[in-house]
Amino acid sequence: MSTKGTRIPERLQIPFAGITPAPSQEKGQDLFPTGNWRSIRPVYRDKLPPCNNACGTNEKIQGYLDLVKRGKYLDAYALIKEDMPFPSVTGRVCYHPCEQACNRGKYDEAISIRAVERFLGDLGQALTHDVVKAGKSNGKKVAVVGSGPAGHSAAYQLARLGYTVTILEKSPKAGGLNRGGIPDWVLPQNVLDREIERLEQLGVTIKTNVEVGKDVTWDDLKKNYDACVLAVGLTEPNSVRAEGENKDGVLYGLPFLRDIGMGTSKVKLGARVAVIGGGNTAIDCAREALRQGAVEVTMITVEANPQEMPAVPEDLHDMREEGVDLMHGRAVTAVLGNGKVEALQLHPARFSGAINASPITVDRDAAAQRFAVDNVIIAVGQRASLKWLPDEFKTERGTIKIDRFGRLGDTNIFAAGDIVQLGSGQPLMVVNAVGDGKRVAFNLDKVMRGEALQPRTIAVDVIFDLNRMNMTYFPHFPRVQQELLPPASRKKTQDEVIQAFTEEAAVEEANRCFSCGTCNACDNCYLVCPEPCIARSERSNGMYKILVDYCKGCRVCIEECPTGCLEGVPELDFDTGVVRMDTAFAISPGLHGRQAEELRNLGDRAAKNI
Amino acid sequence: MATIEVQRQLLPILDSPNQGARFYNPELPSSEPFVPGHRTCAGCGPSIQYRMTSKAAGDNTILVGPTGCMYVANSSYLCTPYNVPWAHTQIGSAGSFTAGVAAAYEAMIRKGKWKGAFPNIICEAGDGSASDIGLASISGALYRNHDCLIICYDNEQYANTGIQASSRTPYGGMTTFSPPGPEVPEGKKLFPKDLARMMAAGHPHCYVATASVGYPIDLMNKVRKGLNHKGAAYLMVYTPCQKGFVYETPRSIDLGRLVVECGLYPMWEWNPEKRAFDYSFRPASMRPVSEYLKLQGRFGHLHAEHIATLQKFANEQWRMMGVALPEALIHATDAKNLVNMAAAAEAEAVAQTL
Repeated sequence: MSTKGTRIPERLQIPFAGITPAPSQEKGQDLFPTGNWRSIRPVYRDKLPPCNNACGTNEKIQGYLDLVKRGKYLDAYALIKEDMPFPSVTGRVCYHPCEQACNRGKYDEAISIRAVERFLGDLGQALTHDVVKAGKSNGKKVAVVGSGPAGHSAAYQLARLGYTVTILEKSPKAGGLNRGGIPDWVLPQNVLDREIERLEQLGVTIKTNVEVGKDVTWDDLKKNYDACVLAVGLTEPNSVRAEGENKDGVLYGLPFLRDIGMGTSKVKLGARVAVIGGGNTAIDCAREALRQGAVEVTMITVEANPQEMPAVPEDLHDMREEGVDLMHGRAVTAVLGNGKVEALQLHPARFSGAINASPITVDRDAAAQRFAVDNVIIAVGQRASLKWLPDEFKTERGTIKIDRFGRLGDTNIFAAGDIVQLGSGQPLMVVNAVGDGKRVAFNLDKVMRGEALQPRTIAVDVIFDLNRMNMTYFPHFPRVQQELLPPASRKKTQDEVIQAFTEEAAVEEANRCFSCGTCNACDNCYLVCPEPCIARSERSNGMYKILVDYCKGCRVCIEECPTGCLEGVPELDFDTGVVRMDTAFAISPGLHGRQAEELRNLGDRAAKNI
Repeated sequence: MATIEVQRQLLPILDSPNQGARFYNPELPSSEPFVPGHRTCAGCGPSIQYRMTSKAAGDNTILVGPTGCMYVANSSYLCTPYNVPWAHTQIGSAGSFTAGVAAAYEAMIRKGKWKGAFPNIICEAGDGSASDIGLASISGALYRNHDCLIICYDNEQYANTGIQASSRTPYGGMTTFSPPGPEVPEGKKLFPKDLARMMAAGHPHCYVATASVGYPIDLMNKVRKGLNHKGAAYLMVYTPCQKGFVYETPRSIDLGRLVVECGLYPMWEWNPEKRAFDYSFRPASMRPVSEYLKLQGRFGHLHAEHIATLQKFANEQWRMMGVALPEALIHATDAKNLVNMAAAAEAEAVAQTL
C-alpha cells in the first residue's frame, strides 16, 4: 500500500505489522523477496555474431550496424577503426566473408554489410580530423616492409600503440596491392590517397622507391630498427608453363593491373584479348581489358563450369554483364605466333584438385584447338620474391617461415599478409591481410614489452542457429541493393561501377540486422518481465540488471529475447551470492530481517514527546 | 457559473515497432508504478498486463483493484507492489467504486481543492468481476460516462480461488467447474461471452478495445488512448494464466501472440466518434487453432470434432474482422481432416478395450 502523500508520524515510520513503507523501484516491496522460487536464472551472455567471426580482422560488425541504426555514425566509424584502418577501401573491395556468414542469409537475404562499411568509410574520409590518435611514444622504431593491406594495417596498429613506424615501399607510390592490384573502377585512387594521408597523420613515415634487398639489406633492417614487420606480398606472377610464353603481347595479370594503377602502363591492347585463369584477379583483368580498348574478351579457365571458379559470384555476374565470354575446361599448351602472339593452342583439361605441384590434368592426346588472339593476359596466381631473405626463414613453397604468432624464429621480426598466408588454406583477401597485420602488430608489441604471447583464441560460442533467437520479432524484409552503373556505360571509363549507399539506405540496411546473440538494448526483456525485476538505469547495451531477489525464474524474458543474448542457467551453478534451502524464507532477509532488528532495539530508544 | 478548466494528461502514443524492419522498442517512460516483490505465479499474464498498463499510465494514476488475482496475490498483509495510490473494492462493486473516485476528483476540481492534472483512474477487474459478478456496476459506470478506464484482464477463469469456470472460459476449456468426462467430453460446452462487443454495443459513447499481452506496444497505446478519451473507456486484455491454462511459464507472451494469430481473440477498437469498429489490426500470420490449443494442458482432453468446432468459431471471428480465409483454415473446420486425432466415439471405444 502506497503511503505517498500521507504524513506518517516518525514513531510509526519503523515498519511493523500494518504500516509498511511505500515500495520503491530500487527496493521493490521488500517484504517478499520471491527470488527463492527460482530454479533457473536468466543471465545476459553475449555470443559472437557469425559476421564478426567470419571477418578476417574480426570487425565488430554487429556493433557498428547497431550504432548506424541509431544514427550514431561517428561512433560506428570509430568502432570500425579499432580493427580496420581503411573502411572506405574494404567497403569497396572486400569479398565480404561476413555476408556469406550472415544469419539473415538463411532467413531472407544477407545484410549488405560492405555497403554500410563503405558508407561509414566515406563519412570518415569527409572528416577534417580522423577519430584515431597516435599512441604515446615509447621511443621504439619499427620498420614495416610493404605498404599493402597487411603493412598498412600493421603500421596503423603499431602507431596507435606508440611506436615510431617507417614503411619501406619499393614502388613510387604507397598502397601496394590496394593500388596495384585493384582497378580504379573498384577503388578510386583518391580514396586510397586519403587513407594513406590519414596513416601519415598518425606519424608513420612512408619511404617510397626503397626496395629491401636492393636499397636496404637484411642486416640494415636488423641494425637500424628495434623490430620489423615483413608484409611484402606476392609480387611475381606464375606462368602457365606453355611453349612460347615469352612472346610479345603476352601479359601477366598483376603487373598489368599494377602498371595501370601506378600510371606507368605503356600497354596498348589489340581487339581480341584472352585472359587465362578463373580467379578474382583474372576477372579484374578481363574487365580492365575492356576498359583498355579490347573489343572481344574471352576468359579461358580449366574449371568445367562457372560454379567451380574460385571467384566471387557477383563479380562474375558483373563481368558477364559487361560482355566477357567464358571458355571452360581448356588449358593453354602453347602460344603461337611469329615473334608476337597470334593464337593460342588449347587442349582439354580439368582441375584434378591434387595439392601437388600440378593440380591440372591436361589431355594432350585430344585434338588441339587454335584460338586466335591479339593479346593474352595470364592471371594464374602469384608467388613470392624473397632472394634477400636468409634461407633459414624460407619455406619449401618459397614463402616466409613463421611460428603461430607470425614471428620469424626468436627474432623481433614478424611477417604478415599474403607472404605467409599462401598455402595456409585461407583465401588471399585484403581483409585477411588486414587481420594478419593487426594481430602481428599486437604480438610484436607483446614481444617488445617482454610479455608472453597468447595463441589466437577460437571463438567458442558463435550463434549459427536461428532457433536460439526469437524470429517472431523479425519480419521479412528485402536487402537494399546497391545501384550499379549500366553495363553499356562502363566500357572505357574508370568510374566506379558500384554506387554508394545514401544515408537512408544505410540506416534501412542496418535496421535489418538481427544483432545475433548480442544485447542491442531493444528493451524487450525490460518490457515483458511480469515482476518487473529487470531494471535499467540507462538504455544501453548490457546495462540491464536482473534483481535476483525478486526474479521467480519464469523465463519469459529468455523466451522473448529477440537476439538470443539472454539464457537460462540452473541456479545450482551459482556458487556465490545465493544460498538455497539454507534459509527457510528467502535468499536475503529482506525487510523482515531489518524489521526484527529494529524492533529488538526499540527498547533502547529514548521516549519521544508525541 | 464559470467553467472550470480541467487539466488533462494527454499521453503521447508510442511508435509501433512491429512495422519496422528491426525489433527495437520505443523509448518507454522510466517511472515504475508497479514494482517487484508480489506473490503472483511465475510468468503471470495479468501481472505482465498490470505492469505494462501502469507504465503506460505513469505516476499520476489511481488504481482500483476489485477482488481477483491482482488483489489477492498482490496485497496480502497490506503490503502491495503499487507505487501509486491503490484501493481494493468488492468484486461486485468495481464499476461503482471507480465511478466514485472519478466523481470525487471531478468534484474536487470543481471546488478548487485539486490543482493538478486530472489523474488517470484505472480499474483493474478480472474477467470474473467484469463479465459475471460486477457486470452491472461496470455497465453503470460506462453508461454514466465517468472519466475512467476500466480494464478487464481476461484470464478466462476465476483463478485465485483455484480455477473455476467464468463466462469468459472458452469452449472446451477445462476448469474445476467444467471437468471433462464421459458425459461431456469437451469439458465446457458454452462459448465465451463476447464481453467487449457487448460493452461497445451497449455504451457506444465509450472507447472500447481488445488487446493482448503478446503485443505490448499496442496494449500500451490502447491504454493511453483510453485514458486520453474524455469519458469512460473499456479495455479487455488477454492475459494467460499459467496455473489455469497449464503451460510452461516462458510461453506467456507467445500465447498472447498465438491467440490473436489463431483468430480466437480478435483485436479491434470501437471508435466512439465514428460509432464504428476498427478492424485494421492484422497479426503477422494466420494459424490454425490447434497451434494455440496444443500448448495448453486445459485443452488436452479435446477430440478432433471439438477442435474443428473451435476452428469454426475462429473462422467466424476472422470473417467478422473482414479477413479472407485461407483454404487451410476452412479445411481444418472438418474433423476428418485433423489427422491423428481420434473422434469422441472412437476414443471411448479405445478406453473400453483397454
